[in-house]
Amino acid sequence: MKLNEKKIDMQKVLAPAALVILYVFFSVVGDGFLSMTVFKNILESSYYIGFMAFGVTFIIITGGIDLSLGTVMMCAALLGAYTFKQLHFPLIVSLLVAVLVGAVFGFLNGVMVAKLKLPPFIATLGTMMMSQGFGSIITKVQSQTWPTATEPVGGWFKKVFIRADLFGVKGFPVGVFWLIGFFVIAALILHKTKFGRYVFAIGSNEEAARLSGINVDNWKIAVYTLSGIFVGLSGIMYAAAYTTITPGTGNGQEMNGITGVVIGGTSMSGGSGTMVGTLIGVFIMSVLKTGLSNLNLQAPWQTFFTGLVVIGAVLLDIQRTKAANRVKKS
Amino acid sequence: MNKKRLFAAILSAAMMLSLAACGGGDKGGTSGSQPSGGSQPSGGSSTSQPSGGDGEKIFIPVMAKGFQHQFWQAVKQGADAAAADLGVEIYFDGPGSETEIDKQVNMVKDQMAKNPKAMALAALSTDAVKEILAECAEKNIPVIGFDSGVPDDTSGAVKATAATNNEAAAALAAEKFGEHEGLVAKMQAATSAEPVVIGCISQDAVSASVTGRTIGFVNKMAEIAEKYQPGKVSIEGHTLWEKKVADPAIIIRVEISATTEATAVQTAATSLLGAKGLAAVFCSNEGAVTGFLAAVSDGEDLAEGGRYADLVVAGFDAGAAQKNAVRQGWFYGSVTQDPYQIGYKAVEMAVKAANGEAVSDVDTGAQWYNAENIDDEMIALLVYD
Repeated sequence: MKLNEKKIDMQKVLAPAALVILYVFFSVVGDGFLSMTVFKNILESSYYIGFMAFGVTFIIITGGIDLSLGTVMMCAALLGAYTFKQLHFPLIVSLLVAVLVGAVFGFLNGVMVAKLKLPPFIATLGTMMMSQGFGSIITKVQSQTWPTATEPVGGWFKKVFIRADLFGVKGFPVGVFWLIGFFVIAALILHKTKFGRYVFAIGSNEEAARLSGINVDNWKIAVYTLSGIFVGLSGIMYAAAYTTITPGTGNGQEMNGITGVVIGGTSMSGGSGTMVGTLIGVFIMSVLKTGLSNLNLQAPWQTFFTGLVVIGAVLLDIQRTKAANRVKKS
Repeated sequence: MNKKRLFAAILSAAMMLSLAACGGGDKGGTSGSQPSGGSQPSGGSSTSQPSGGDGEKIFIPVMAKGFQHQFWQAVKQGADAAAADLGVEIYFDGPGSETEIDKQVNMVKDQMAKNPKAMALAALSTDAVKEILAECAEKNIPVIGFDSGVPDDTSGAVKATAATNNEAAAALAAEKFGEHEGLVAKMQAATSAEPVVIGCISQDAVSASVTGRTIGFVNKMAEIAEKYQPGKVSIEGHTLWEKKVADPAIIIRVEISATTEATAVQTAATSLLGAKGLAAVFCSNEGAVTGFLAAVSDGEDLAEGGRYADLVVAGFDAGAAQKNAVRQGWFYGSVTQDPYQIGYKAVEMAVKAANGEAVSDVDTGAQWYNAENIDDEMIALLVYD
């Protein structure tokens, strides 16, 4: 038994170790990879994926899945920009609109999964298309832009969410505060509250959770809605990083979030996972992408290697589940 | 059971190693080719090279709007050729599709981290790269736009753009009309009683490229026609270009389609084909060609013995249908942009700008292709399917 615990601990360090190894590797072979600029690039391309991943971690631990992450994120970013640029809402209201869009689609997913008993895969496949279509309908298939840093109205948007001159550093990546802040919130919810305990309970054995008096349906709706709020926030972070939002996009972005979660050690079959794992998983993806790009490996190669990592991560997950089952038996 | 876990650990280690091996291998390849980089840029004077550039090649990222179209492949070939000629190192990349703005932004950022001496950029969205451009301006990294370039740049980082001058390109078609013996004979023989009509089909009067081409063609055609019928050339059809004269012998008729859809272009083409004395037609882009071909039974009416066998037709751009019409000889010929030159000039200007030389916008020119040269290596590269 003691030996087993030791082995499980070794698995826990696997993901952080991989992150460090990757970073060191690219620093050695890359062209100026070990620099503040590249580090900032890695951070800035991680924010929105991080928020998506935090949210979907809850869902995956309950044994569900959310395929609508990417398109709901784009829909939130599109509608936010639309209300700001076209309807001239104050920027703060537009930000709330973005979060609200995420929450509404999350709630919708939750109702379909919990009350209407649709398989999560199908329900979220539906909202994936609905949100993509909805964003295009409202914006009349026109690209929408968020304010850039120098704009008189809403110029604070980028300074608050992505980078500002802070602590005497020019272009300090302030987004990292948001990422870490919400990481802490997500981690506290998952690991320190009743909500979090129920998430694990539902994921390990839904029937047992139900029999022990947990209102599984309502909690599931709450889980999907919470995830939706995180997706809305990811829309804001995406907008802060990339400014222009194109309707009809977002497909495939959900995989960035899900992959981060899986690499971070959360089991796709539910019942186990950690928020810190997700954070590390997201950074592994970003370091990998930025690193490959730094080596001048063109986009198709980056996609190829990311695929390889996904397969590797899922294989690890299978091994982990098997090992966990054996531990339970012994 | 310990073995299983060990397996998992080994597997992940192997995964990372394979990454390391691939990445390392590629790096080795590029650095292996570097030692030959003592060569000076062949064109520019060696004194203007930046200090500290001894033996180290100038590095220039070339960031395109896409990768999958043959158009961009031709741009890349041109860029590679320029890099080889000038002894600089370039990195050409673009997102998988023209909607992936975030991918392009990341790409540009990643390359900026290498402190390039200059950059060539065809931005998907100027807003999305605004801060990067500001950074370029601040760090004195000159940016050269290519293809559609970086429209509405306010940072001042964009020094010049290498793009097709649409007016000049379309004028090339008019010049070719002026070299067509049959058409010239008709223009010479034209009278006010039986005027000759030369048509121009454009799918809209809004987009900058199509409007530029329409203006370019109409003006050049009018100039040529004036040679044969001085004072008797009338431009009609669209108020934007109208220049009517009494009793014209040559009428240049501009036909603008109601919408950009193929059926609307077809309607416009049919109306033009009904004009008495129609001798030649210029279609100003691929959409116009598609609509026109639909109006002439997919081109069969233009073939030997067809209803419009005598009609002299020229197109613009390429595409499978247009290429077929040119290859069959149904079209007199077509004009194509020169993506190879766009890539070549972009890199050439970036090198100049990196060396502190002044650069200005450059027209990358256009090429005329017809049944004879369509399969030539250089042309085949330019005309996409």
